[in-house]
Amino acid sequence: MIKRFFKQIKEGLSDLLVVWRDEFSLIIHDNAILMLFIVAPLIYPVIYSLIYNNEVAREAKMVVVDYCNSPETREFRRMCDASPDVEVVGVCANMEEAKEALRRREAFGIMVFPREFSSALAHKRHAYVQLYSDMSSLLYYKCFLLTATEVSLEMNKEIQVRDMSGATAREEEVSTTPITYDDVAFFNPKSGFASFLIPGFLMLLIQQTLIIGICALSGSIYDKKMYHALAPIMRNRRGSFRIIFGKALCYMMFYGVMSVYLLWVIPSVFNLPRMGDPLNIIAFMLPYLTACIFFGMSISVFVKEKETAYILVAFTSLIFLFISGLSWPGCAVPWYWKSISYLFPSTFGLQGFVKINSMGATLPDLRLECIGLMVQICVYFVLTTLVYRHRVKTETV
Amino acid sequence: MNSVTLQRIVSIAKREWKRIISRRLYIFTMIVIPLFSLFFFLSLMNEGLPKEVPTAVVDADNSALSRRLSRQLDAFKQTDIVVHAKDFSEARKLMQQGKVYGIYYIPENFERDVLSFRQPHVSFYTSNSYIVAGSMLFRDMKTLSVLGSAAVGRELRLAKGETMEQAMIDLQPIVIDTHPLGNPQVNYAIYLCNVLLPGLLSVVIVMLTVYVLGSEVKEQRSREVLSMAGNDMFVLLTGKLLPYTLTFMLMATFYDVVLYRFMGFPCQSGLANMLLISYLFVMVSQALGVFLYAVAPIMSISLSFSAFITMLSFSISGFTFPVGEMPGWLQVCSNLFPLRHYFLLYANNGLNGYPFQYVWPSYVALLIFLALPIIMSFRLRNVYMNSVYKA
Repeated sequence: MIKRFFKQIKEGLSDLLVVWRDEFSLIIHDNAILMLFIVAPLIYPVIYSLIYNNEVAREAKMVVVDYCNSPETREFRRMCDASPDVEVVGVCANMEEAKEALRRREAFGIMVFPREFSSALAHKRHAYVQLYSDMSSLLYYKCFLLTATEVSLEMNKEIQVRDMSGATAREEEVSTTPITYDDVAFFNPKSGFASFLIPGFLMLLIQQTLIIGICALSGSIYDKKMYHALAPIMRNRRGSFRIIFGKALCYMMFYGVMSVYLLWVIPSVFNLPRMGDPLNIIAFMLPYLTACIFFGMSISVFVKEKETAYILVAFTSLIFLFISGLSWPGCAVPWYWKSISYLFPSTFGLQGFVKINSMGATLPDLRLECIGLMVQICVYFVLTTLVYRHRVKTETV
Repeated sequence: MNSVTLQRIVSIAKREWKRIISRRLYIFTMIVIPLFSLFFFLSLMNEGLPKEVPTAVVDADNSALSRRLSRQLDAFKQTDIVVHAKDFSEARKLMQQGKVYGIYYIPENFERDVLSFRQPHVSFYTSNSYIVAGSMLFRDMKTLSVLGSAAVGRELRLAKGETMEQAMIDLQPIVIDTHPLGNPQVNYAIYLCNVLLPGLLSVVIVMLTVYVLGSEVKEQRSREVLSMAGNDMFVLLTGKLLPYTLTFMLMATFYDVVLYRFMGFPCQSGLANMLLISYLFVMVSQALGVFLYAVAPIMSISLSFSAFITMLSFSISGFTFPVGEMPGWLQVCSNLFPLRHYFLLYANNGLNGYPFQYVWPSYVALLIFLALPIIMSFRLRNVYMNSVYKA
């Protein structure tokens, strides 16, 4: 009895090693798969980090139309220009000239001071500053809006103090700002694009290249009608475990190494947030990679040809990115899409990694993500078993 | 074009139709994926702006005034106070767990300090790991702090005997009046969908074009179709790609009608002009597919390139992060991506309604892309003649 048990373990391990070795040699002899598993993860994040490396838009170009041209308006313009976010690139004589600058894309915003600006201030009426913005870039709009608001608050305070005669300095200050405030941008102090997008993007890249690769491998086996090679191992249910674990182990090996590069080297080189404890990250990556692998092996049932894997999976990247609650805040994702999003490892992977890496959360904070990944691992493992049994059976008869 | 050429094109196109209906893959890629993407993004963003972003308040004062302040914060459209945390560390924990995106902190003795002119200090914290939600809350909390301050200031002035109107003017002499041109509500769906959706369509078109060309070689039928075309690559490509051009143009028409008629997204240059741009973009995407396949006639490699280039184009086209803020060499590279020019055409023609003299360079750029297959036709013919499939 015990002898049989040991024999079975020994046999199982040797079968697993055979599957592992075959899969490994299949991968390293296939340039297309190597591109997915190694070249893409190496190069893609570098280009993305370079694109977003400046993090924020600085010195958004603005033109000014000053119909009033008084000391106040000049002061306002000067303060805008002095701010880090806005650069006044020119003063236009009239609105038509300013619009022309927008059309030539020499500027993206117009600030207009009406003729009665200073007289309104003198006569204690509201003085309006008109701010026009090209909406093809929301980032520039944000620069203009925040700077103009900031400058107007500053000047309003000066004007109030100036208008108050006979009061003490302290009285003036309290009366203009009875409550003071400060704002803190947690976790991403520069509000940078790279710090926000890249960590999630890296996790998505892992899932997408993995599932395209797994589907392409399975498709090429199908193409070459090689499933019969697995038939001898597939004698019983234990046999399918050997095949699945052998292959999964092989993918895990590649992505274990790539993860170190993606999640440690890239963030260090490009100064991205790295608040996470490495042990927590490793402990989180194991279930994430496992879930991605079984997810990929399950959906490979739909791919009957190596090349279709690319067509069917590539377009989902954007959908996974938006459904995961990173690009589009999770609280704004409608309930039906949110429920569907729980089918994909990337949803939990992105959220979990961003929380660990960018917000310094620890595993106990990630109960939802960890449970979600565990459930996915179980479900997709069962599906994978069914898929492989079905394929080997139908394609070797 | 003489009648023989035309006949050949038609017969190749007919052959292609038969191939299309013989496999579910084609129907799925040409119809199901584009329609699903349209439905997905429009339903995801149908609110335009994320509403009711969950926020925590830490009210260490718990006075009438501090409660009024937090009620005012809750009243903002984009802010939803879901938790009154007992202390700051609890709120911070909630933020790390992703349950709230912002924290508004009101200190102890807040009311007493306001009333005795001691300038209490409120703080707000936004989680910028989620940039969209974070910046929404930032705006609301900042407005509230300024308004809260103003409200107290107003009371002080009213007490001095000023009229309400006068107090308002005294508090805020200069007012900023914003005009977000073309998108007055600063609707995120308008900002994202108009480029995301055509971009996604282009992902599918480029990859399917590569597949359509490569599968002839894979099935060892490339010589057959080459002889049908009388060895003329122009005839071959036109005939083979025409059914896809027409189907994808139909999809693009549907996209434009839904976006600019049904959804009412801004389109100052008119629907006809947007359709022209979309059709051009469909053909440019096909041309890019032909080019990529000819560069690397091993399908799985050219499909990898296609995925790489089309996915990268979402970032490098500059509709989320402006091209002007990228490193110089990447700014130059951005011109090599058709989506960049599509984005400029939509922004300048559709959104801003600029006249032709300001937008023609983008049209020219797209037309140059259309010429890509011509450069490659000789190489492509060799590939079809040799007809060697490599996985």
